[in-house]
Amino acid sequence: MMKKSMIITVMLWAMLFTGCSQKAPNLDVEEGTNNISDSTEIAGDTVAIDENKYGNENSANTDGVNGTQYNSSSDGFQSIYFGFGDYGISSSMENHITTNTNVVNSTNSTIKIEGNCDEFGTDEYNYALGLKRAKAVKESISLQGVPESKMVIISYGESNPTCTRPTDSCYEKNRRVDLRLVK
Amino acid sequence: MKYILFLLVSLNLFAVDASVKIEKDVEHRTRIALVDGSTITNHNFFKILQSDLKISGHFLADKTHHKGDISSSYLLPVLKSKEYVLKYSLAQKSGTKLIIRLLKASDGTEVFKKSYAIPSKNKMPFLAHKAVSDINTVLKYPDVSWMNRYVIYARYTTPGKSEIVLADYTFNYKKSIIKGGLNLFPKWADKDQKSFYYSSYNGLRPILYKMNIYTGQKVKMATSEGMLVCSDVRKDGKKLLLTMAPEGQADIYELDVSSKSTKRVTKFNGIDVNGKYLDDESSIVFVSDRLGYANVFKKGLHASAVSQVVYHGRNNNAVDAHGSKIVYASRESQKSFGANTFNIYLTSSKSTSARPLTTTGTNQFPKLSVDGNVILYIKHRGNGSSVGYINLESQQSLLFPISGRKVQSIDW
Repeated sequence: MMKKSMIITVMLWAMLFTGCSQKAPNLDVEEGTNNISDSTEIAGDTVAIDENKYGNENSANTDGVNGTQYNSSSDGFQSIYFGFGDYGISSSMENHITTNTNVVNSTNSTIKIEGNCDEFGTDEYNYALGLKRAKAVKESISLQGVPESKMVIISYGESNPTCTRPTDSCYEKNRRVDLRLVK
Repeated sequence: MKYILFLLVSLNLFAVDASVKIEKDVEHRTRIALVDGSTITNHNFFKILQSDLKISGHFLADKTHHKGDISSSYLLPVLKSKEYVLKYSLAQKSGTKLIIRLLKASDGTEVFKKSYAIPSKNKMPFLAHKAVSDINTVLKYPDVSWMNRYVIYARYTTPGKSEIVLADYTFNYKKSIIKGGLNLFPKWADKDQKSFYYSSYNGLRPILYKMNIYTGQKVKMATSEGMLVCSDVRKDGKKLLLTMAPEGQADIYELDVSSKSTKRVTKFNGIDVNGKYLDDESSIVFVSDRLGYANVFKKGLHASAVSQVVYHGRNNNAVDAHGSKIVYASRESQKSFGANTFNIYLTSSKSTSARPLTTTGTNQFPKLSVDGNVILYIKHRGNGSSVGYINLESQQSLLFPISGRKVQSIDW
């Protein structure tokens, strides 16, 4: 019985020292799967396009017509501000909606409603969040009787900050919807 | 007594086996030294070669920048302890020329020799990547040709303006391909990287373009009010996953490239973005706030049922997939403002378990390589950013600093 135990023990120790074999590397390497074939592709000269002909249409206008510190809209509109991650219109913004509705009703122009975000999170999600904010503003104005066809919405995500300092007050200013006339 | 003996041996077996496996992984990497025979020493090129060898997961490169004659097969005695020696000579008189010789360290036998020449001086890093990729092939190691590819990314330059940039994976080479205007979300259109899709926000409505990087030829693919992003391209290039909002509501659509027709894939009143093809490309993984916060879900392209993929974290707002592999970024801290900790996790469409790949800092934009073996991500820490790579098989990881404004989106 003792001899049997010893044999089993020795076998177990033998397995221990042998260990598990390393997985053999894949020998079926496919050649030429990269995009450089002895310098022909990488030597190809890529273009360099300059679109600086596009002006500052999308730049935030911090000199709001009504002269308040917190307004990056133009043409008499007032920007709407949002809480972190939110896209509902808060009660404190309702008078801004009323002001904006009056401005819309005073013009025949199309209104551009721009959704914006602070810099947190990935941009694709932020573009969608900015769009939800713009849509919420559009719907609030249309509830006041303005035809939806008079308004166009777009999201600029985190691309158009009015403030770039890493402070809470800066982030608040960037979580907004701006309105302006389409010219 | 014999049972106690058996138990003790079994426990010891598992404990020692784990440590033996780790040691074996380190030992399995080929020890290689670099010998520079260039007339003018370029220490940056040496560092790029070292990074390439390390991230391949197959080499343990000597940190010393040895110098020596490239044409001779003589090797310093100190190099005999290696398995291979890579002798190279870099010249940048007109364009860039690189000659490499791979020698066996034991006796100086030449295993491989090749020369490379390109007219550009700026593209020098690509010659290093190509050399290491070729050496991997010659030694019959698993393919690492992903390191030869361009990385394409967008970054904001000033409020309302951006540029799209081509780079090598180390970001030593960078070239602005579109500057000015607001052009975002670049995405490679084909595996040969001849064209890419991007969103132009220069007008009233975003437009999706496809551009050839060599000719500059631009083709309009789609337009949508509000928002338009190409988040994935099917492997055969014939279909795209888009986030678009034709009625002001962002959802995921699939676009047929030849007919330009679109089919809606998700229907939700909140936010659905970042669709990626999954498994055999008959289903997708995507980010949605349908639970009240950003999280990762999956659904069949032609089915309505949606199922949750990630069951931890309160903000999982970026995802990528390759086959059944899924990587995502998860917010680990709860600050409403200021920098939060984001970490990258790896999971699978076949399992609910996930493991973290990073532990500190703000780690975002996880992207799997074209072969699914390496993850690219962006790490923000303090005032700086880096591009990071994690080799999933070898566990090797590298960080390269990125200068300039932070990355808006990236693809490789």
